[in-house]
Amino acid sequence: MTKPSLYPYATILPVMLVVAVFTVYPLLHSVYLSVHENVLTRPLDNDFVGLQNFREVVTGYYFWRSLWSTAVFAVMAVAAVTLYGLGVALLLDQAVLGSALLKIVVLLPWAIPAVISGIIWRWIFDGDYGVLNGLLLVTGAVERYVPWMSQTFSARLCMVVAHVWKQGPLAAVFLLAALQVIPAELYAAARIDGAGRWNGFRFVTLPYLKATLALVLIYETIVAVATFDLVYVMTGGGPADATAIIGWYAYTEIFRFLNLGHGAALAIILGVLLLGLVMVYLRLLRAEEAT
Amino acid sequence: MSAGRGRSRARRLESLALNLACVVVALFILAPFAWMLICSVAGEAELTRRPPVFVPAPPTLANYAFIFTGQMPSDRTRHGIFVWQTSHEVRLLLPALRNSFIVALSVMAANVVFGALAAYSFARVAFHGRRSAYVFILTSRLLPAVAVAIPFYAIVQRLELLDTYRALVLVYLAFTFPFTVYFLSVYFRYLPAEVEEAALLDGCTRFQTLLRVVVPCAVPGLVAAAAFAFMTAYNEFLFALLLTQTIAAQTMPVLLAAVATNPAVSHALLAACVILAIVPPAILAVVLRRYLTSGLVASVAR
Amino acid sequence: MIDATRARWLVVLLGLSLVLAVSARAQAPVTLNLVSWSYGVDIVRDNIGKFQQKYPGVTVNYSDFSWATYHDAMVARFVSKTPTDVLYSSDHWLQEWAAAGWIVPVDESFPQVRQYLTEYSPFVREALTYKGRIYGTPYYADTFIFVYNADHLKRAGFAAPPGTLEELTKQAEAIKAKGIAEFPVVLAWGQQDPFSIESFTGLVFAQRNGSLFDKDLNPVFKNPGSAAEKVVTWAADALGTKKILSPTSLQAANVDQIRALQSGAATFGLIPSYSLAVLNDPGQTQQAGKFKIGLMPGESRATVGFIRFYAITAQAPRRGKDVMTAAWNFLDYFGGKTDGEYRVTKRWSLEKGLGFAQTALFADKDIRAAFGKWADVDMLQKQAQLARAKEGMTPYYGTWDVFSRAELHKAYLGQQKPADTLAAMAKKWEELKAKAK
Repeated sequence: MTKPSLYPYATILPVMLVVAVFTVYPLLHSVYLSVHENVLTRPLDNDFVGLQNFREVVTGYYFWRSLWSTAVFAVMAVAAVTLYGLGVALLLDQAVLGSALLKIVVLLPWAIPAVISGIIWRWIFDGDYGVLNGLLLVTGAVERYVPWMSQTFSARLCMVVAHVWKQGPLAAVFLLAALQVIPAELYAAARIDGAGRWNGFRFVTLPYLKATLALVLIYETIVAVATFDLVYVMTGGGPADATAIIGWYAYTEIFRFLNLGHGAALAIILGVLLLGLVMVYLRLLRAEEAT
Repeated sequence: MSAGRGRSRARRLESLALNLACVVVALFILAPFAWMLICSVAGEAELTRRPPVFVPAPPTLANYAFIFTGQMPSDRTRHGIFVWQTSHEVRLLLPALRNSFIVALSVMAANVVFGALAAYSFARVAFHGRRSAYVFILTSRLLPAVAVAIPFYAIVQRLELLDTYRALVLVYLAFTFPFTVYFLSVYFRYLPAEVEEAALLDGCTRFQTLLRVVVPCAVPGLVAAAAFAFMTAYNEFLFALLLTQTIAAQTMPVLLAAVATNPAVSHALLAACVILAIVPPAILAVVLRRYLTSGLVASVAR
Repeated sequence: MIDATRARWLVVLLGLSLVLAVSARAQAPVTLNLVSWSYGVDIVRDNIGKFQQKYPGVTVNYSDFSWATYHDAMVARFVSKTPTDVLYSSDHWLQEWAAAGWIVPVDESFPQVRQYLTEYSPFVREALTYKGRIYGTPYYADTFIFVYNADHLKRAGFAAPPGTLEELTKQAEAIKAKGIAEFPVVLAWGQQDPFSIESFTGLVFAQRNGSLFDKDLNPVFKNPGSAAEKVVTWAADALGTKKILSPTSLQAANVDQIRALQSGAATFGLIPSYSLAVLNDPGQTQQAGKFKIGLMPGESRATVGFIRFYAITAQAPRRGKDVMTAAWNFLDYFGGKTDGEYRVTKRWSLEKGLGFAQTALFADKDIRAAFGKWADVDMLQKQAQLARAKEGMTPYYGTWDVFSRAELHKAYLGQQKPADTLAAMAKKWEELKAKAK
């Protein structure tokens, strides 16, 4: 590398160009929108309104309801995905026939669109003709069909199941990678010390997985908070506003209330929220790399 | 002796339990697919019964026939509501799949070519501004999709690209490039540098080195990056929903969401659509699972 | 002589070429982009074929979208200026789309549209008008009707359908107690279905002093003891306490409600009248023929009437005169008279039972015969005469509608008191109203 050549710049140019156009401009545009009046049914009012959109969004009780719904969904989804992922990862780490077979299919749900995952599960949980109700009825577990999607708690639960089914494989594979680097001698040593399976897990596996688990937790939180596709096809935010999580709320502001100013303000709030989570995430990652 | 036998029995029990657990998880993963497959060969009337017919006998291909040919099933009783209220949207599944493929393959190709070029420079070539450019590309992904939805829309509208493949390809490139660049530059950095240095000494340019020395060694990484780009593009929903209005560019997830949210939907028909739509990613997931696994791990560790 | 002949020929030639030129201009191929929601798509296609035969210069480029997401899809379409010249719309959104400049007043360019006005029911006239302008021709106009399974009623020992909500509760409880139907009442109150607010409004109109807004658009529904409060309280009680309202109602679209009634799982429903044609179609179920119309349960027996119509987008005039002419021809062919007859409107009524804006059609022999197969036409007409347009029709009605659907669900589910729900709906209304000024 004797003289500065154009080669590296030429090679990164296409990538830089696309990324820059779709990063810098959207940021500026969002900020612009969020400080202007912009309601589609009043095309002529486009005044600068300062922080009014933010004020209106934040003081609207719908916003707090949706924040609450988002928090509830995120907590349920993240806990479930992580536990499920951990369980599956531990299974995949075993030297049994079943685990080899499981490895073949485990990625399937992750590979298909979230929209389809939503469609499949909505049909399974359908209160009128869902197969879950059908099976429960046949086995005598219920006396009559249960309208799973019509009640706040069960509707949220249905969404979490669909979410776990789709997102779980990612967590599982990631935790599996962490499991596989745990030196086997440690387990052997633990066994010599008379530790059973549980204690092996408790005192060898868990400490090793701690950092990875934290990463999974935060990554999954980001994914859960930004969920949109599932709501769109499964619940449309209902019943009432039980599943109107913040991404869906932003969509409603834009496409149903036709208020782009509110939509942009919400999007920025959501962006800052996620950015905060990502910062925590990056800090943890760096801490892990340091160890 | 007896202690040994006891231990081996315990081990056998344990292995049995583990296998059983694997089966349970596999069932959870596969059962929804299986049920969709069953629904897709059933008549609508068999599904809107309480309880539904679990094993449609004989299976019917009428749902698939409708998607491919528009041929209404002749058996009115079996196909029930399908006959009197069917949206012709499902007939658009094949064009929508074609759109999805065109977009996803373009995104994949651009990622492999431009992503690899850029990643190699980031991995091996020292140049002014390298670190800041790298950090900029990576952090760009931190913007959540919902937050940039309206501006993306505005850009595409200004470029007069609404409802075109090019719009979707551009947006998906913006989403996939950062990961591809990160993933491949890490991958390239782990390749042995000596061979490359030898090639450079022999008078190869950087580009020739990349093409002749690095690429052949990096096939697994390139395959994983390609598969990722393909899947991201094939599965994306929000932007496809916003940026496409007609079947000229509408992709499969948008079409299926429209069909599924139609209250008059025939579930048998919808199931057939789902089965057709998930074949490509399902094949990718099974065939390329090793590559994908390594990629997945990297994607979280970003 | 020769010159005179030549001159005559010249004149003839000139004349001929002029005629040719004019007719060629008139025949200049026009592509008309039509968008509808998905319903009777085969019939629409067939009608388009006939329309194109009548207007050979026009080609209709047709696409259909799901009813549940139609509003959102159209908004995206308008904003992105996706080619759309004529489209279906609903009175829910007429003012919203007109205020946003997405659809244009028809009578401004084609005053002849007003000739039809006198033939419409008053509620249709009202619902098609915004700021004194007419925005389209009717696709269909219908009313919400109360239907019951006469067989269920007889088995439960009732001779007549309920006249009030209290009677409805009593009859439903008896039917439930006798095990005839587990949940005798089913409603299409799924949050995603734009029909749900109409169904609710119809039930409010049926009560004593059944109004949602006064003349100055003040929300009277929030007043204590309002008709709306009565309806919401009844629904919450029927769902949560008495368990006579099917819990799937809160997920149900019209189709789901029809399925529940068809299968005999439910006794009472609130449906747009055309759906009765499906319920009583012997090709569909064994329950066919058992469904009858009762006037709306409530002291006033009134109901809501609604209109879905063909509109012209703002893109059409921008594309030029030919397109506008073609668009008008489309509106006139589909929603107006052809050769002295409401041809397309009548076809929808005969084949699908769709209601109509033109009151005179109730006297039409063919329609009476066709409707008579699935309904008591006199009852149908009687209820239709008691129909009123939705109240609160403003550019922000659509926004308020979506907000209200979620609020109402909270009350039905017992998450909050009916009064709180209505107060929240009123607050949202005042907020939107204040902003619109």
